[in-house]
Amino acid sequence: MTDFSVIGKPVALIDSAGKTSGQGKYADDLSLPGMLIGKILHSPYPHALIKKIDTSRAEAVEGVVTVVVGPDAPNKYGILPVGHDETALAVEKVRYVGDNVACVVAISEGIAEQAVELIDVEYELLPAWFDPEDSMKAEKDWIHEQRPFNIEKDYHHVFGDPDTGLVEADLVATNRFLASEVTHAAMEPHCTLASFEIDSQTGKPGRLTVWSSTQVPYYLQHKLSIVLDMPMAQIRVIKPLVGGGFGGKSEVIPLEIIAAVAARKAQAPVKITYTREEVFWTHRGRPRTIIDLKTGVKKDGRITAVAARVIQDGGAYCSFGVVTILYSGALLGALYDIPSIRYDGYRVLTNKPACGAMRGHGTVNVRFAFESQLDDLAHKLGIDPAVIRRRNLLKPPCITVNNLRVQSYGLPECIQQVIERSGWMERKGRLPQGRGLGLACSHYVSGAANSIIRSDMPHSTVNIKIDRDGGVVVYTGASDIGQGSDTMVAQIVAEVLGISLGRVRVVAADTDLTPIDIGSYSSRVTFMNGNASMRAADDVKKKIVAAAARKMMCSPNDVIMRQDMVWKRDTPEPGTQVRQQAELAAEKGSVQEVSGRVEGQILRGSLQQKRKEEGPKDQMSFEEAVVSAIDFSGALTGTGSYAPPKDARGGAFKGSGVGPSPAYSYSAQIAEVSVDEETGIVTVHKVWAAHDCGRALNPVSVEGQIIGSVWMGLGQALEEEMVWKDGLLMNAGLLEYRSPSASESPEVEPIIVESVDPEGPFGAKEASEGSLAATIPAIANAIFDAVGVRLREAPFTPERVLAAIRSKGANGNGQSQAQSKDRPLQITRGFDPSAPKTFREHGGLLWFKGKGPERHPQDPARRGNPAHPEAGAD
Amino acid sequence: MKKELIEIRVNGRNHEVAAEPNVLLLDLLRQELRLTGSKRGCDESSCGACTVLVDGVPTLSCTMLAASCAGGSEVVTVEGIADHGALSAFQKAYGEWGGAQCGYCTPGFMVTVRALLDRNPEPTEEDIRHALSGNLCRCTGYNQMYQAIKAAVAAEQERHGQ
Amino acid sequence: MSLPTFKLLRPRTIEEAVGFLAAHGAALQILAGGTDLIPSMKQRLFTPPVVMDIRGIEELRGIYVTPGIGVEIGALTPLSAIEDSAFMRRHYRVLYEAAITVASPILRNMGTIGGNICLDTRCLWYNQSLQWRRSCGFCIKKDGDLCHVAPGGSTCWAVFSGDTPPALLCLGAEIEIAGPSGMRRIALKDFYTNIGDARCKLESNEMLTRIFLPETTSGWMGSYMKLRVRGSIDYPLAGVAVAFRKNGGPIGGPIEDAQVAITAVNPAPLLVPGAAHALIGKQINEHTASVVGELAAKTAKPLTTSALTPEYRRDMIRVFAKRAVLAAAQG
Repeated sequence: MTDFSVIGKPVALIDSAGKTSGQGKYADDLSLPGMLIGKILHSPYPHALIKKIDTSRAEAVEGVVTVVVGPDAPNKYGILPVGHDETALAVEKVRYVGDNVACVVAISEGIAEQAVELIDVEYELLPAWFDPEDSMKAEKDWIHEQRPFNIEKDYHHVFGDPDTGLVEADLVATNRFLASEVTHAAMEPHCTLASFEIDSQTGKPGRLTVWSSTQVPYYLQHKLSIVLDMPMAQIRVIKPLVGGGFGGKSEVIPLEIIAAVAARKAQAPVKITYTREEVFWTHRGRPRTIIDLKTGVKKDGRITAVAARVIQDGGAYCSFGVVTILYSGALLGALYDIPSIRYDGYRVLTNKPACGAMRGHGTVNVRFAFESQLDDLAHKLGIDPAVIRRRNLLKPPCITVNNLRVQSYGLPECIQQVIERSGWMERKGRLPQGRGLGLACSHYVSGAANSIIRSDMPHSTVNIKIDRDGGVVVYTGASDIGQGSDTMVAQIVAEVLGISLGRVRVVAADTDLTPIDIGSYSSRVTFMNGNASMRAADDVKKKIVAAAARKMMCSPNDVIMRQDMVWKRDTPEPGTQVRQQAELAAEKGSVQEVSGRVEGQILRGSLQQKRKEEGPKDQMSFEEAVVSAIDFSGALTGTGSYAPPKDARGGAFKGSGVGPSPAYSYSAQIAEVSVDEETGIVTVHKVWAAHDCGRALNPVSVEGQIIGSVWMGLGQALEEEMVWKDGLLMNAGLLEYRSPSASESPEVEPIIVESVDPEGPFGAKEASEGSLAATIPAIANAIFDAVGVRLREAPFTPERVLAAIRSKGANGNGQSQAQSKDRPLQITRGFDPSAPKTFREHGGLLWFKGKGPERHPQDPARRGNPAHPEAGAD
Repeated sequence: MKKELIEIRVNGRNHEVAAEPNVLLLDLLRQELRLTGSKRGCDESSCGACTVLVDGVPTLSCTMLAASCAGGSEVVTVEGIADHGALSAFQKAYGEWGGAQCGYCTPGFMVTVRALLDRNPEPTEEDIRHALSGNLCRCTGYNQMYQAIKAAVAAEQERHGQ
Repeated sequence: MSLPTFKLLRPRTIEEAVGFLAAHGAALQILAGGTDLIPSMKQRLFTPPVVMDIRGIEELRGIYVTPGIGVEIGALTPLSAIEDSAFMRRHYRVLYEAAITVASPILRNMGTIGGNICLDTRCLWYNQSLQWRRSCGFCIKKDGDLCHVAPGGSTCWAVFSGDTPPALLCLGAEIEIAGPSGMRRIALKDFYTNIGDARCKLESNEMLTRIFLPETTSGWMGSYMKLRVRGSIDYPLAGVAVAFRKNGGPIGGPIEDAQVAITAVNPAPLLVPGAAHALIGKQINEHTASVVGELAAKTAKPLTTSALTPEYRRDMIRVFAKRAVLAAAQG
């Protein structure tokens, strides 16, 4: 059963040489003759009406071709059908500092940058909303008129009987948790190149081709057709290499639309590449989140009920927001057996860059809260953190209280593995003061069982073409963004056809060539596109087998395809025979004659000649089999598609569409940390991360995904946070937004657990996101183990950790007496990271609360003018 | 500003390019010489994706004027790292060990690793970690890069030992 | 992001450079390693009509030892050269320790010791793009008349963020400045103003050429400790340099001479007043170290120019000063 030839073995990504040699092309590496450069003017205000835009000064600059503004493309779009609230460029109002106002198209970047400065915009300022809890109380000046009280969406779900569950609990914990906003910070800034071609029939601009750094080329094609009023068939989207996504390219990003609109207006190819600052303004990352969490447990640790109230600070547009807030509630289930759940989720609009989907979409911050609280309950009950988790395991196959179907469930083994590898039983509680171990678990979907645009259409389709050269070309819509999906597809096809990987060529993510796949998000690709690839390969294999069976005069059931050979069951394996022949030939000193197979190539003429001469045989090369099949039926093609089964698509309640997945991945992690009690600096020494990915198709890639997820979780746990001041992002760059460097990145020991899912391709399921969510609480729990303080506000920056330590020392219930004379929360300005209430903004003063541009040199409010601000304390 | 002729030596070849004085080396490489292997990742001289060798020293090409390299400097980009048209041992190892995922930071790392191994053919893990600490990667968490480099070093040692 | 346009000058000698400085004065910006200036020019913090790239002045490169006098370091010497110098590591420990913490290995290849000394002061409200600053409102340091950090104030509190200058201050460094009337030499401690938007006493027609370390501080024990979030790349959020000479070397008797300086918490790197007095004649122990810590914290005036809270950064000056004293004594 597990005797595979290609899958399960570590292989280099099929595009890795292009990456290491610099030959691989990303969107910004492409250029076209006559290509122009676009630069976007962004709003300096968080919330304002646009009264007038005058582009004449910019247009007058030599080298400027055109300036695009909102009315050039006023159709609304958005990734979700319920959230069409964006336009290419602002039409009537701007909603955050950085919102898109106009785009200059010029012959060079320098000229475009210069001209952007010359666009004159008249704004009328509106009151702005920055804190989600304030924003929810707004009675007027709503960010979108159609969203009263700035609430994008709220959901109120009750499963089981949470009230009774909490009453029956022996112990109930109630806490507020805060998680700061984080962003993808993929190394490649977004880039789009758009070009129209002249239609031969009409002589006018016709088809549009767009090369873009996207995780969702087919959604881009769809949204472009809406905004440009063009049929989808007239739009071709090509995804070149993509330099990382993590969700930041999983929806249609403003520049993708703007580039196309600009190319139409400029009548020339236009490329727009974001500056790093623009990437931060475009954002679509993980929203800062308030989690009010209540968990009830019996004395033995069994969970009786969970109640969560979640508020997400969604920024100025819907983006994936409705899905994010649903995931936060839905994935309270499916990790543990929780009999009753209450969930109240609020997605709130604020005048900040829009939040969207980011690795671990919707689950991460709630998981941080839940796993921290469970750890706390275990501590209070005197139960080992591993034991309390084991007492709440699901018993699959099962359906959770919120209608999620769980079939494969490697969580118990994940817990077992990390406990063994880390020496948990021997070391937990026995480490010196200041050093600790923490355990946490997480899970994630293997793709959503319901697509964004509800339909019965398959989520993935894959085509295969095999021609007389014996080369296998796979056409897949899957978007490789560095996670290795092209390689996954090639491996699956090679495995099914019994051929070597080098024979497979993958053509991917080109809407003209490849059949639709809905994109690389929610960890759906291996499961869904993998299944489609498998079915396409099976489809084409049937044709080859039928032809080979005829040739070998046997039943198709007796045809075996492996190692680039085809043979009849119960005859000697060709490997052996071929080797024997070769040995014999070598002894004789004669030239080896193995039909058709010379270093993977065939000599067609001689092969055909040979074929005529040959009678029935027991074996043949893959090429021979292919040629006989082509002789019989013409060029070989196969197709396969995948749609999630009906019983995996969840319940019937409102909002039930998000959360259901054909399979869930599971992860357990233990982090070992030390905490410097005098500085609050946390050092993570090692993370043991066990992940149930069903089956590891390419172990080196699975390990890479586990390590990468854990590492990104570590960044969110300790270093990364978007720092705000009245809607202004204080750290919009890779210098001040601190993605961890090699220096402080710890060793991560990835442990693959294979539960072999009944529906996954060869049993495979999710591998790229699920591990992230466990890392943050594992570190939080390890900090608690090390120094006895519970951080309920992420990230655990040194000042927060130190404040928590001092606060505990001052309360006199801990060992640390250090600095008890200091006002303990002075260093966090009164905010208590163990019991947080509201988000803390950056210090200092933004004088005009969003009236900043009045300080521009051309503005009358400058020095010498009476309009001076009120003075205030820092 | 008027363009000036810049004579620049890149990957062992001399080029004469007309460029304005404010053109960055990165832009000259990518746009004029079409050597798009070096990437732009930030605008603040902090990510390392644009790293090239200038006279053998890892240098951020986004932070260097092209004109500053004119007249004698030897620039080597990722395109000049390969070994006679094939991948160098460490480039190949990066593929095999998962050192590159999305690959966008990879050219910068390749240049950094080349310089490290030129200077220190048998680096310890600590040496590697230190040398790599000026290049940011967002995919790998760096772990598999260390494995790749160590494997390449071991392979080289074995090759020389035989 | 492209750079603003400018005329580029590439002198080969100090003389030639001084001539250009005399000719262009304030219109000219000196470019050395570029690690600070180039990103700042992208952000339009500087839009000089003339840029003078001094990288071609070979005489400004290198570390030269003159027995009996001390060490001369050319202003263009990259920080990595100090990192790689066994001599510096052995004789001027505190400078070595400071140099190896600067930014990242690649940036140390590019960044120069002179550039680190002349580093522009930094502030989260200042080191931002033109678009960002326009959104926020321009500040005193660039195009405006207000300070976001100390509202109501009329001085700039942008913070000096170089790592090596506190070490150089501890070592009694002097610097040589070339100008129209020849060379002048001043103590580094007299170079800084502690004013964020006029950080140092370098006239627009002058340039820093050399750094001198006296032989009297050669062999001083020393330590530099830096607060940052990442283990690499980051500018300091607080930094403390400690250097002293102890009677009888590492193990022996009391401190004979000492200096403590701090960085990244004021608009200048500052010697800690009273720290030398607190150390001289004393044995190094927790108590003396703590006294120095308190003095250092008293000297630190951090504000919201940087990440983490000012209160935390100030307290870390205290902790790091104490630790640096103890670490330096370990040799």
